[in-house]
Amino acid sequence: MSAKRQEIKTIQPALQPVKGHGGWVASLLLAAVWLVLPSIGIAAEGTATGPTEYRDIPYIGSRNLVWIVAQLHLLLAGFVLGVPIFAWLCEVIAWRGGEKRYDKLAKEFTKLLTSAYATTALFGGILLFLLVAFYPKLMNYLTDVFFPSFLLYCMLFLLETATLYLYWYGWDAMQDGRKKTLHVFLGFLLNFFALFIMIVPNAWATFQSSPVVLSEGTALERAWAATWNPTWWPINIHRLIANVVLGGYICGAYAGVRYLSVKSKEDREHYDWMGYVGNFIGVFGLLALPFAGYWLMREIYQYNQQMGITLMGGFLSWLFIIQAMLIGVLFLGSNYYFWLGITYRIPGSEAKYRRAMLMMLVSLLLCLAVWMTPHSLVASIEEAQKMGGAHHPLLGVLGVMSAKMTVSNLMILITFMSFVMYWRAGKQDTAGWAKFGKAVMGAVLVVASLAVIVLGVWGYFVPAIVRINYFSTSQVAIVGFVILTITPLTALLLKSAKTTTEMVWGSMPPRAGYALVLNAVMVILLMTLMGYARSSSRVHWHVYGVMRDTSPYAYSPALGSASLIMAFCTFFFCILVAFIFWVATMGDKYKTTSGTGKGDLPQGIPAMAGGAPGKQRQ
Amino acid sequence: MSEVAQLQLIALSIVGIGILILLFIKAVFLRVTGFVAIVLGLFSLMSLAVPQLASLPPAEEKIDIASIKTPTDIASIGQTVFFSKGQCALCHSIGPSESARCPDLKGIGAKLSKDFLYESLTDPQAFVYQDYRHGGVPKEYPATMPAIDKDPIGLSKNEILAVIAFLQQMSGEPISVSTSELEIPGQPSPAPVKAAESSPLAIAQAH
Repeated sequence: MSAKRQEIKTIQPALQPVKGHGGWVASLLLAAVWLVLPSIGIAAEGTATGPTEYRDIPYIGSRNLVWIVAQLHLLLAGFVLGVPIFAWLCEVIAWRGGEKRYDKLAKEFTKLLTSAYATTALFGGILLFLLVAFYPKLMNYLTDVFFPSFLLYCMLFLLETATLYLYWYGWDAMQDGRKKTLHVFLGFLLNFFALFIMIVPNAWATFQSSPVVLSEGTALERAWAATWNPTWWPINIHRLIANVVLGGYICGAYAGVRYLSVKSKEDREHYDWMGYVGNFIGVFGLLALPFAGYWLMREIYQYNQQMGITLMGGFLSWLFIIQAMLIGVLFLGSNYYFWLGITYRIPGSEAKYRRAMLMMLVSLLLCLAVWMTPHSLVASIEEAQKMGGAHHPLLGVLGVMSAKMTVSNLMILITFMSFVMYWRAGKQDTAGWAKFGKAVMGAVLVVASLAVIVLGVWGYFVPAIVRINYFSTSQVAIVGFVILTITPLTALLLKSAKTTTEMVWGSMPPRAGYALVLNAVMVILLMTLMGYARSSSRVHWHVYGVMRDTSPYAYSPALGSASLIMAFCTFFFCILVAFIFWVATMGDKYKTTSGTGKGDLPQGIPAMAGGAPGKQRQ
Repeated sequence: MSEVAQLQLIALSIVGIGILILLFIKAVFLRVTGFVAIVLGLFSLMSLAVPQLASLPPAEEKIDIASIKTPTDIASIGQTVFFSKGQCALCHSIGPSESARCPDLKGIGAKLSKDFLYESLTDPQAFVYQDYRHGGVPKEYPATMPAIDKDPIGLSKNEILAVIAFLQQMSGEPISVSTSELEIPGQPSPAPVKAAESSPLAIAQAH
């Protein structure tokens, strides 16, 4: 601190001479030079004899700057990797189902990729420069371990870029016949390379958290061994699903904002439908995300119980209560959007489903209350004595993993049923086996819910290892079974169903748009929160148990002050994405005002929205 | 004003700005920005409302040998290590606790010898209490108890001895760790603590 004060004292007289001459440019230049000076100064601080280990930057600090840039890079990367999955899925739906508007939607989002891709790469470059400048010792170590994968990463970037150019610029030229098949294949390749672009740096980050012993060998052998660390694949799967969720919800948020601002009926219909598709894809991924998260935590515990305890029972335990709150709001927001859809898009359905919606809301809130119950409280000895142990006598019962796993599974089931309800609304079954089919679905749902609860309660009375290995996995399997049973049965039922009420697009109230924005903000906040958790779980280690952080920033800040950085990252990312959307759609607005309008806007009901797809194809 | 109060004020201001935008501005994009500001401000307020715990790097526990006069002084240092750098209390309780993850350490100082305790802390896999909550396939998670003298905890010999002294004190036992066993920086190390005998009999006697 004293060094910084000294620098401030130095710069003030230095700026005095230019003040009187209106030399603001010179002042700025001097200020810029001054900003660089501390880095040079601190570089010399490293060690008296050895190479520089750390550098710093005044005011914001090297750690905070790297934190913000890394988080923004990760969010942008999630967006850039999630949107192609989203776009490709839409293109395949259009290709196989013949609904052109899905193709238009896919194209609309692929258009964003070029500018988003460049922005992501820009932040990646900034991050690399900052890491090399601020953490030379760590980067030197990681380069020694991972050098071969650095080369692979560069090659993947070249392939991804070339594929993206072909995919985007070839869209119109490859619309028919075999060319379309080739285009869909290009979309697949784009996602294939994107997957590897994600998992290669995941190896670097996960190695920091769960390093493995590196024996002697070639550079390739060492890199390969370090890549296959225990948390690599759990993170890969978790991030892949999370990227789909992020892409879906951001698409929904974009549609929500546009829906709020557009005036024409056509535009309202278009963006209402787009919001629905975005929310649907977000929810689709969200249902699987808790399972992936659970697997990741299990692997962390298996790798190092202490790290697991630091996360779940140590100083980060309250973070998971905040996480539960964010996930709960996300589940509530997604369900609320479905319920609004039932109420406003399918007139007359509200009365039929009002009671069910109310019951679902109450169940979700109860589940959320259990999920948010803390278990291991970090308490002083006096507090622990008053509670009669480290665990609260009452809350401790609900705060354990058995209860949390049960309610998270129930929330997934409720959200799935919300979707099914929305899907079935405005339809009348005509199939002969409809009554039997519905009875089977009802029985599956009831038995599955009871089984999940029974396993949850039983989980209290068995050793943890039995619960983790058998009960929790069974709960997941049961929920998966329900989804895989009821989805095809409902689709079969609705194939022959009679539409009693046509879906009315563009009739959602403004709060639906805000609900979509809220969902996207929740996902982004969750990503920033868990980024902090992952980094903090390493405590005072750059590479856990191998390379200690000896910088002044070796501590993990408290959740409150960290939350402001998370909020800033979320806000800045939202602004960046809004800017990307604005830049990418500037041309469209020009075309629209010049008379070349949107052409075929959605008139029908998407297949997964419960319409009769055959009638609606354009 | 405390740091938390200052941060709460910032978060509250963000919420306030968001509310003002929603109340007085008609432009949709700005209204959405205001809405996002409210959500983010509330998130920060919520995060500031929970206990604020920073994770500080463990201080290098400098045991001032000169200040240690009695075994009770050693036990006092051991208590600090037990609840801080050693992180023992994350898993172990002192007294019965149904939900504790690991064995209750109440009375452990009376049950186990000093040498056995030292070995259990530095080589936890040497003996595993055969009946301890291994209902399923045994040894699926073999490294439940970390070697406490290795990274990431990395207690020094003096710190381990201090923890043992604390455990003995908690069990109402006379503290068998003497000040002469502590390593004095710059001086040759006293005789190492003996490892326990590796025999089934030792397990039976220990428990």
